[in-house]
Amino acid sequence: MGTRTPYDILMHSLPDAPASFERTLPDLDRTPAPWEGRVQATCECLSWCGTLDHLERRHAEDELGETVYARFPVHARSVLVTAHSLLDQGVISEEELEAKMKEVRSRFESA
Amino acid sequence: MTKFNVGDRVTVRDATSMFHTRTQMYVRGRTGVVVSHRPEWVIPEDEAWGRENGRKEPFYVVRFRQTDLWPSYAGSDVDTLETEESERWLMPAGKEEGQ
Amino acid sequence: MSTTHEHSHAPIQDEDATSEFNVLETAIRELAVEKGLFSAEDHRRFLEWAESRGPAGGSRLVAKAWVDPGFKQRLLSNGTEACKEVGIDWNDPTGKGTPSDYTYFYVLENTPEVHNVIVCTLCSCYPRPVLGMSPAWYRTPNYRRRMVRQPREVLAEFGLDLPLDVAIRVHDSNQKSRFMVMPMRPDGTEGWGEEQLAAIVTRDTMIGVALPQADWKADRSPAETPRSAGR
Repeated sequence: MGTRTPYDILMHSLPDAPASFERTLPDLDRTPAPWEGRVQATCECLSWCGTLDHLERRHAEDELGETVYARFPVHARSVLVTAHSLLDQGVISEEELEAKMKEVRSRFESA
Repeated sequence: MTKFNVGDRVTVRDATSMFHTRTQMYVRGRTGVVVSHRPEWVIPEDEAWGRENGRKEPFYVVRFRQTDLWPSYAGSDVDTLETEESERWLMPAGKEEGQ
Repeated sequence: MSTTHEHSHAPIQDEDATSEFNVLETAIRELAVEKGLFSAEDHRRFLEWAESRGPAGGSRLVAKAWVDPGFKQRLLSNGTEACKEVGIDWNDPTGKGTPSDYTYFYVLENTPEVHNVIVCTLCSCYPRPVLGMSPAWYRTPNYRRRMVRQPREVLAEFGLDLPLDVAIRVHDSNQKSRFMVMPMRPDGTEGWGEEQLAAIVTRDTMIGVALPQADWKADRSPAETPRSAGR
C-alpha cells in the first residue's frame, strides 16, 4: 500500500477548499469541471494498463482524502491521490512533476 | 452447482480478513436470506492478485434485515439491505463456524 | 435546511482552484503518456466514452419501461441486454467494458412497498454507462458509511422522507454488479410520451435519493433534483 505522508508539491501548489460550515451531502453537488472528466479517464487508463488498480486507488482516496489531504475539496481527491500514488510508486518524481506543472501552467497562461 | 437455494437462510462467515476481500466487515457473522443467484465469477481474493485463472464460484444476493445488522438501527423494522457474497463466505444459518 | 437546488447550477466559484487542479491533471496525464504507461489515444478513447455517458441514458430506460410493459420485463430480467435497445452497450469502449463498471447491470424496481437506493461502501462503484459520472457526494465516506447504517437520515438530508411501512432496501454493490433504481411513475403523467417522461427522471431518482415529480420542468438538467421530493 502507499505512503501516508503528503507530498510537498501537492500540498503547496494547490488551493484549499474554502473554509466552510459543516456541509450536507447535497451541498457537495456541483457541475463537474472538464478536468474532472479527464482525471476519470486517466484513472481508467492507469487501471487498464496495470499501474494503479481502481479499487486500490479508491481506498487510497478514502484514507488520504479524509486525512493528509483533507483540506482539499472532495472533488479533487481523485487527481490528488492519483498523483500521490504515482509519486509513491516512483513512476514520476516530485521534481519531474514540479517542472511539468510549471511548463503546463505557463502554456495555459499564454494561451 | 450451487450450494444455496433462493430462500435459504445463510450466515456470513467471520473468517480472518483476507487481503482484497469484498466481504464487508458489517455483515460478518450476520444472518440473511438468499434472494437471487448471480453468475459464477472469479472470487475477488484471486482477482486482486492478478491471477489469470482465478477460482470461480457461485455468488449470491443476500438480504438482511437492517435490525439484524445494526444493534441500534433507528429506521423501520421492514428496512433491508442486500449485498452479494461468494459461496465460500456463506454457511447455512444455525451452523457453527467450521461445520 | 436549504431546499434550494440552485447549488448544482452554481458556476465554479474559485477560478484559481479550477486552473490549478487543471494544471495537475494535465501534468500527470502528459507525464504518464511520456513514460509510456498509456497513449494519448487510449486516454481519448476513455474520455470520449465518459463524456458520452450521462443520466439521459438511464432516464430513457425508465421512461421506456414506464410506457412499454414488454421492455420493462426485459429490462428487469436482463439489464445489460436491454440497454442495447436504447443504444447503450456495457462492453464499450474496450469490448469488455471498463475496469470500474464490468458488464452485470441490474435495474431495481420501486414499488409501493419497497424503495430502493444504491451505494458502494467499499469503493463508490456506480452504473456509469447509464448515469455518467457519479456525484461527488456519492463518493464520500460520509454517504457510504451512513447510507447502510442510517438510510432514512441520509434520505431526509436529500429531502426525502418515506413512511415507515415503505421498506427502504439499500443495495451495497460490493462485487461486479451495477445497479440503477427504476422509480415509480408519478401521478399526473397520464398520456405523456417517452421524451416527456424521461425529462422528469433525474439522476438522483435513479440513485434512490429522490422521487420523480410530474411538475419538474423539462428544461432542467437531469442531474438536478427538486429537494422537496417525497411528500
